This record gives sequence, C-alpha cells and structure tokens, in this order.
Amino acid sequence: MRCLLGRAGPASRAGGGAVTDIAKKRYAQLGQQLQYDQLGTVRRQAEGWRNGLAGLTGLVGVVFVLKGRESVAGMPGGWRWVTALLLVLAFVLLLAGSLGAVRAANGQVGQRVWLTGDRLLSGILDEVERTQDALSTARRLSVAGLCAIVAAIAVSWLVPVETSASPGSSGPYVLVNTTGGVRCGELVLADPEAVTISTAGKKRWVRIPAADVRSVTPAARC
Amino acid sequence: MPDHVATEFREHEAEVRPDEPFTVTRSEDGRWYTVKGYCPTCRVDTVFRVSYGVLGPPKRLWGRGRRAPEPLTGDIPVYCQCGYPHAERPPESPDTGCGAFWDVPVPPPEPGAAP
Ligand SMILES: [Zn+2]
Ligand SMILES: [Zn+2]
Repeated sequence: MRCLLGRAGPASRAGGGAVTDIAKKRYAQLGQQLQYDQLGTVRRQAEGWRNGLAGLTGLVGVVFVLKGRESVAGMPGGWRWVTALLLVLAFVLLLAGSLGAVRAANGQVGQRVWLTGDRLLSGILDEVERTQDALSTARRLSVAGLCAIVAAIAVSWLVPVETSASPGSSGPYVLVNTTGGVRCGELVLADPEAVTISTAGKKRWVRIPAADVRSVTPAARC
Repeated sequence: MPDHVATEFREHEAEVRPDEPFTVTRSEDGRWYTVKGYCPTCRVDTVFRVSYGVLGPPKRLWGRGRRAPEPLTGDIPVYCQCGYPHAERPPESPDTGCGAFWDVPVPPPEPGAAP
C-alpha cells in the first residue's frame, strides 16, 4: 500500500483539461485495496488488542499475588464472601473477555459462507462488524474483570483482620508431631534439648526430647 | 455503446462527459456503492465499488442488528478498471484500466430509501 502511495506515476505530465491530482487516485486505489484487506486489518487490530488485554490482566494478577492478602482466613465472614464473589466474578469476566478477544483475532470456528463474489463481500463486511463487536465486548468484559480484581484487592487491604490472638480460654496451643504420634497442648518451654507442653488442663507437663520432634505447629484448639 | 479506445496508459484526471453521466447506486443493505458508467478516456463501461470499511467509527453501543452506515456524501473518486490492455502500463501497476480517474458525485439519498 505504501509503495502504491509513494510511487509518483508517469502522470506528473500535465493532462489536458483538469489538473491531475495523483494523490486522489492513489487514495482511491488504497481504498480499493483496503476493501480486500479489511478483514486482515481488523484481525491484526484485534490481535494487538488481545495481547494488550492479556498483558493488562497479567499485570493486575501479579499485583494481586504480590500485594494482596495471603489468604482470606483472617477476614470477617461477610467480607470473605464479598472477596470470593468478586474473584469469581473477575474470573468469569476475564475468561469471557479473553475468549472474546481470541475470537475477534482469529474468527469464529465453523462459520461458512458461499464463496461467490457478492456473498463474500457481504460476508467479509459482516465478519468485520462481528469482529469489531466481539472486540469491543471483550474490552468491556476485561475492564470489568480487572475492576473486580482491583476491588477484591482493595477489600483484602482495607477490611480489618479479626484479632487472631484473642486471649482467654482459647490459648495458644501447639501440635507437636513426634516420631511416636501427635501430641497437643500449651507450649511451656522450648529449648535445644526438648519441647515441653502442658496437657490435660495444665496439670501435666510433657517433655518431648528434641530428637523425637518432627514439627511444631500452632493451633487454635486441641 | 461506444467501442473501446486503446489509448496509451497514462494516469490523468479526466472530465466526465455531461452526456454520459455515471450512475451511483447504493446496495440494499447500504454498505456499498456501485458506480457505473463509461470511462471518459477509453470509452468502455466500467464498474467501481466502494464499500463501508474498517476505518469507520463504531456507531452503536449495545444495540444489535445490522448497521447501515450513514449515506456517503460528496464525490467518489473513480478510476478506470476497464480490463483492456493499455500500452505503456507499467507491469507493477495495480491498475487494470487506462489510468484515467475522475470524480463522480453521489446523488443525495431520496427520502424513503434505505437509511
Ligand atoms: Zn480501457
Ligand atoms: Zn479507461
């Protein structure tokens, strides 16, 4: 196309009568060329958009992974549901958006048309319209999905954590995984030789030699 | 019907003869125009099509259904696509005519026709 525009034809010679404006003809030729190329043009455009949307989605996903709360465990129940719903919504929207963008860039599978010249022309015009529709829908869905993800991040940042270390009856218990089974109790002492826990209502202290201890995990109750 | 005149290929702007005006018809769905008439230079009938293409802005937001683009106004620059061989046509030229081009005014859409 560019060479078409760039080439100054032999028409620089002055014609009889009207002044020759060769650019007018070049653009007319370019227009005719675009009529044949427009589906490819739209597909390339859609490909660019698809890549851009995918990049954007990935970026926000990374932010979510890096900056979001590690789990929803500490959140009050209602907010936990809100976050989960937002994430599910975001997933659905982003999935639909990605599929729409892929559809726009690559066409619908299984669409056929009679390949006569006229049908092909209207088929191409139809497909151009459908591609642009699919692309703009995909764009909206992706933006909505990204907003949902960002809202989920915001919720996870702003909602206060339920105070996990609540004093009182539910003391800080530990689960001690030993070679001889799992013991549970309140942690009394941990030194290089052994882990000491109190079991059965602080009445008995159990000393577990460090050689037997496989792991120690905090627990809310035994 | 005039016979084809084997002029030398030359890209030049031609004047439309007033006695042989061009017809400009819009397709039923309004998405392309067909320009028909006799090339002012090589005197043979030539057909030129202009369709509504990708550079147009999207017009609707959520509605469905086939969009009929707004009618074209002004002139359609048309170039000869007579298909006859013309001497001196460069082999790399995309032209299939005598090289002549001219403007065809689009008639205003008659009321009651396709929007
Ligand atoms: Zn000719
Ligand atoms: Zn001609």
